[in-house]
Amino acid sequence: MRRLQVFGLLVSILFLAACGATRTEIAPTFEQAAEEAKQSTVNFYMWGGDDGINRYIDEYVAPRLKETHDVELNRVPMDTAEFVRQLSLDKRANREEGTIDLMWINGDNFRNAAEAELLQGNLLDKIPNATLLNEEAQATDAGTPTDGLEVAWGNVQFVLHYDADKVKNPPTTFDELHRWTEENPGRFTYPEVTDFTGNAFVRHLLYAEYGDTVRDGEIPVEFWKELSTWSPNLWKEGTTYPKSLAQLDQLYAAGEVWMTMGFNERRAEAERNAGVFPDGTRALVLEHSIASTHFLAVPFNAKNPNGALVAINELLSPEAQLAKQDATYWGDGTSLDLTKLDTADRDAFLKLDEGVTYPDPERLTERSIPDYGPAVIDAIREEWDCVAQ
Amino acid sequence: MSRSSLWFSLFVLALPFTGVAFLIYETVGFDWSELNEAVWRTSLAVTLYVTIVSTVVSLVIGTWLARTVYMKRSLWLMSLLKWPMFVPHVAAAYLFYLLFSGGFPFYGWIEANERHHLVVIFTYVWKEVPFVFLMVVGTYGQLNHGYVDMAKTLQLKPLEQFKVAEWPFLIKPLLDSFWVLVAFISFAYEVPALLGVTYPELLGVLAYERLTTGLFLNAFESYAVALAWTLFIFSGVIASYALTAKRRRRIERGVRR
Repeated sequence: MRRLQVFGLLVSILFLAACGATRTEIAPTFEQAAEEAKQSTVNFYMWGGDDGINRYIDEYVAPRLKETHDVELNRVPMDTAEFVRQLSLDKRANREEGTIDLMWINGDNFRNAAEAELLQGNLLDKIPNATLLNEEAQATDAGTPTDGLEVAWGNVQFVLHYDADKVKNPPTTFDELHRWTEENPGRFTYPEVTDFTGNAFVRHLLYAEYGDTVRDGEIPVEFWKELSTWSPNLWKEGTTYPKSLAQLDQLYAAGEVWMTMGFNERRAEAERNAGVFPDGTRALVLEHSIASTHFLAVPFNAKNPNGALVAINELLSPEAQLAKQDATYWGDGTSLDLTKLDTADRDAFLKLDEGVTYPDPERLTERSIPDYGPAVIDAIREEWDCVAQ
Repeated sequence: MSRSSLWFSLFVLALPFTGVAFLIYETVGFDWSELNEAVWRTSLAVTLYVTIVSTVVSLVIGTWLARTVYMKRSLWLMSLLKWPMFVPHVAAAYLFYLLFSGGFPFYGWIEANERHHLVVIFTYVWKEVPFVFLMVVGTYGQLNHGYVDMAKTLQLKPLEQFKVAEWPFLIKPLLDSFWVLVAFISFAYEVPALLGVTYPELLGVLAYERLTTGLFLNAFESYAVALAWTLFIFSGVIASYALTAKRRRRIERGVRR
């Protein structure tokens, strides 16, 4: 009987723990927030599929945050869509004290989170370093206005990378890329469109054909017919596609395909230096390249929102942004406006623009286009199946 | 049975029912015709194909091995067969992914990520044969050798001997194994996710994808599929046990005598 009582007690504690908590409020000023955050832990939920990014957080940011603000940073690797979903379940269950304090988010995940009111607002006023932000990058997230619900953390562009030892005459337009795949069957593929990068590649092809006319998400049937003509010459004759960018990178590293792709023009440098990507890896900028900003946000039910603000401020500091852009860890473009920095910081950023696998920065900026909105991302996700069949 | 273990069993039993209740609650008002999409239809077809082939092949090989071990009394084979049981499904999937990735030892003769799903089936067969073996070998251990002797005395052909002296006793463990395997394979994620193809996807992979992309937008489809599939398997289990009940009872009484 006693055992039964203990069991009952445990179950009730579990329920109480789930329902009893109340929401933690953000301190009125940043100084107070920093004071309250001392000796606390910030749970940072982020996509964990890239070794360089993970090392940047664990080896650079976390020790720095501990030293400057006495805040512990706990990186939790998880697919973005998954923790956004977890948050929406929290919202439905009225769970006012969640497990996520800070999250890395953008694109349709942000759109979903904003629509479901899962994020804390007015972040920009509360973070001193937010004044340094590149205002254009901060304004919208893949077509959705950010409205202070998230803070720009990095700003990158889409590029392809190819192995110059195998690809002698790289294509210069998407049309030429199509022809190149016909001449080199089985040596090119792109991730499934449920993947962030795969979806972006298809958006580039869409832009090449229709430009700005399809922003409402009405994709003409001809586009899919045209895309189907790529299939026979793709890897495995287009009967299957890599599930993720990581899988495409593996195929590229193994020499099975000769091109890979991704947001972030500097992403291949560290991989090449580590000997993962072939020595001949070079950047390929075709006629246009989608610019994409990624952001940091604080969930509505963060247990430690003050700690999250401190962490965001630190992540936006010129030093942390510089270390992020360096190829040692990540090579991610800064979200800061270089004209707002002092000369020494600005020069340090400009010095980073040299890398074997980096594209010409001027050409990249010149060909930059704003992303389509979530309507197109969703439409591609829903309609692409007809190509994969 | 002590009272605490009774409560614990009730608690364990209540969990799946809570899950089903949740699914029913979530699918109230769901427009079921949304599932009548080509994506779901082809997914169902390929799921049935992979599940049935993997299950039947595992059952046949598992039973055959159990019979061999029983007839030949080869203990080394018995301990050897247990090994795949200790390999997690994800690890097995990755192992087969490496084996069939196009280089050594198969050089693209059979490859992973192909529409015939052969490597998915291989992985399942490799993992599940030991399970079937363990389920069946116990039955063989208890088998009354008198039946086999009698069948031999009556000069029945080997197949007929098996049919009258062994098969009736195997129905129960094979039926158990069949449903465990069907329930497991038909809605699993990791093996088909790694070794399958983009189109058509197995039910578990497609449902997970719909569940995790876009907040609640497509989650209801996944809930509906999970509910329908659970009920389908549940009714399959009930029907098959009900249909064989009389026969099994007669045999079980026969064995005990």
